[in-house]
Amino acid sequence: MSEWLVDAVESDLDGFHLGPVDLSLAPGRAVAVLGSSGAGKTTLLRTLAGFLRVRRGRILRDGTDISDWMPEERSLGYVPQGLGLFPQRTVFGNVRYPMELRGHLDADARTEALLDRFHLTGLRRRYPARLSAGEQQRVAIARALAAEPELVVWDEPWQALDVEARHELGLVLQDLRETERIPVVVVTHDPGLAFSLADSFVVLDHGRMRFSGGPTDLLEHPPDAFTARFVGFENVYNRTSLEAHRDRPFPAWLLTEAGPGGVAVGNPEVVPTTGVPSTWEGSVRSARPSPDGLSVELAVDELMVMARLPRPWPEPLPTVGERLRFNVARTVVRRLGGDAEDAR
Amino acid sequence: MSAGGGTPVRRRWRSGPYWLALQVALSGSLLLLLLLPIVALFTYAPFSRIVAAAENTYVREAIWLTLYASGIAVLVTALLAIPLGYLLARHRFFGRSVVESLVALPVAVPHLMVGLGIFFLVLPGSPLYDFTNAIGFPVYDTIWGVVVVMAVVSAPYTVLASQLSFEAVDARVIEAARSLGAGGATTFITVTLPTALRGIVAGLLLTWARAVSEIGGILILAYTIYPGGPYNGPVTNTISVYIYDLFQAGNLTDAAAVSSLFLLVAFALFLTVRIGERAGWLPWRRGDLTP
Repeated sequence: MSEWLVDAVESDLDGFHLGPVDLSLAPGRAVAVLGSSGAGKTTLLRTLAGFLRVRRGRILRDGTDISDWMPEERSLGYVPQGLGLFPQRTVFGNVRYPMELRGHLDADARTEALLDRFHLTGLRRRYPARLSAGEQQRVAIARALAAEPELVVWDEPWQALDVEARHELGLVLQDLRETERIPVVVVTHDPGLAFSLADSFVVLDHGRMRFSGGPTDLLEHPPDAFTARFVGFENVYNRTSLEAHRDRPFPAWLLTEAGPGGVAVGNPEVVPTTGVPSTWEGSVRSARPSPDGLSVELAVDELMVMARLPRPWPEPLPTVGERLRFNVARTVVRRLGGDAEDAR
Repeated sequence: MSAGGGTPVRRRWRSGPYWLALQVALSGSLLLLLLLPIVALFTYAPFSRIVAAAENTYVREAIWLTLYASGIAVLVTALLAIPLGYLLARHRFFGRSVVESLVALPVAVPHLMVGLGIFFLVLPGSPLYDFTNAIGFPVYDTIWGVVVVMAVVSAPYTVLASQLSFEAVDARVIEAARSLGAGGATTFITVTLPTALRGIVAGLLLTWARAVSEIGGILILAYTIYPGGPYNGPVTNTISVYIYDLFQAGNLTDAAAVSSLFLLVAFALFLTVRIGERAGWLPWRRGDLTP
């Protein structure tokens, strides 16, 4: 398998500017591309796949500059959002297509093998419109592999999948990396699967690369509000909202911790009993049980704070308007922001 | 691409009786308006005259010529109009709106004008007149004149239908094909065209229907058709001109009889195509595009 290097690549699409973006992909590695809508994730993938011109920088495959190569020359399995299955072709016809192009004599046998591997044999005569979302995903990945790609680039693989299908697809992608050693680039909005699959992350914001690094780094130093929420910080405040209430103690304290992009606070721990010294107090807005514990929404000095009580939580549940005390450990506070990136 | 397989749940709109009655009344009126002239045609001439028309060699020749010329016109249109539709669907270029308006123009003007335009273009003595004669495509009073008029007045339907069909092909499907290793031309042949084919064929059917029904331009360019080019039969007319002649001559019974006969022929042809499409003779039905 090839080694890929994206070196300060920039591209443009209808006035939108992407980059510079750097990526490095050794065989068997996976990168997750994160960012809010319009951040440039799909633009990046389409640039890698060869549908948008590389304005600056280079894309290297095993040291060869392929920036000017046509999409069909790149040996890159691009799975677009919505998968791009051929509506006129059956499951069999879709998977066979890349091998037809290459004139493989054993196309049928190889198609059968791929169908078998992805549990599609029984669906071979079906058309894509008659498949479930999970089945469509399996057809898309089988078809991409039929082209023997040197890199798989997948836009939102988990879109429209239920929990089971997500889990199954996660295993498939894991398998691609581990047994086939094919490097993978995915765009995703799903934190759980991003962390289960990727060993490095890239965060885009308005076309610019805000972060590039491993999972620990991403969790410890989320670069912006979007990423902070993505990795599980439920309380994210921008500077403006804090400054509006800087005369109150809690916002004022948060301001001292905030960076140019604001501050992110992990779920504070509610201190259930009186008598324990605790820093803050808020009044309950709502209390909802969830798989991760009891989510308690508190109003504190004009700010809303999501706090959590681990299981088992005390019954009865806190009532609306009840005063609760909570602690914010320094270890769950993250400074967000900008620095050199904002100066650009 | 939607999630979930299985049979779709069809929901009925709930509507009140008056609303339903209004719909039935309005659509019923239109259907009557379409049906009654046909009934009038069929009842004017006695059935024996329709049979006689069917046995008349001159009538048969005129019907054959009309179907023959319209068939050629559809082929010519397919060859030229589908590429234009693709161009309009895939590219944004300066003057695109002008081109689109130009394409729609033949539909919007009396077809006599189209005939006149072609008439002046190949006026006897002009270079184009000499050229078309020299290469064996004389247009005056030949089947080529009929084909040219039919193609010009009916091509817009295929241009428009193929433009819309190509625009409806998901760009991501095309990008997927490219990334799987298909070059631009291969992608067009193996993915884009098959996906758009259903709409394009619908456009070609409309084109054919419009070509068959043409009279205005033909009156000017090829009133009488002499053998030549692909047509080697006796001197004849298109069926439209022939019926017009009968009517002008005051022969109302035969005008009605020949019209009735041609209506039956046209109806049978369109019905065959429809049934064929339903029965899956044509490839796209198998795709079952509607989830």
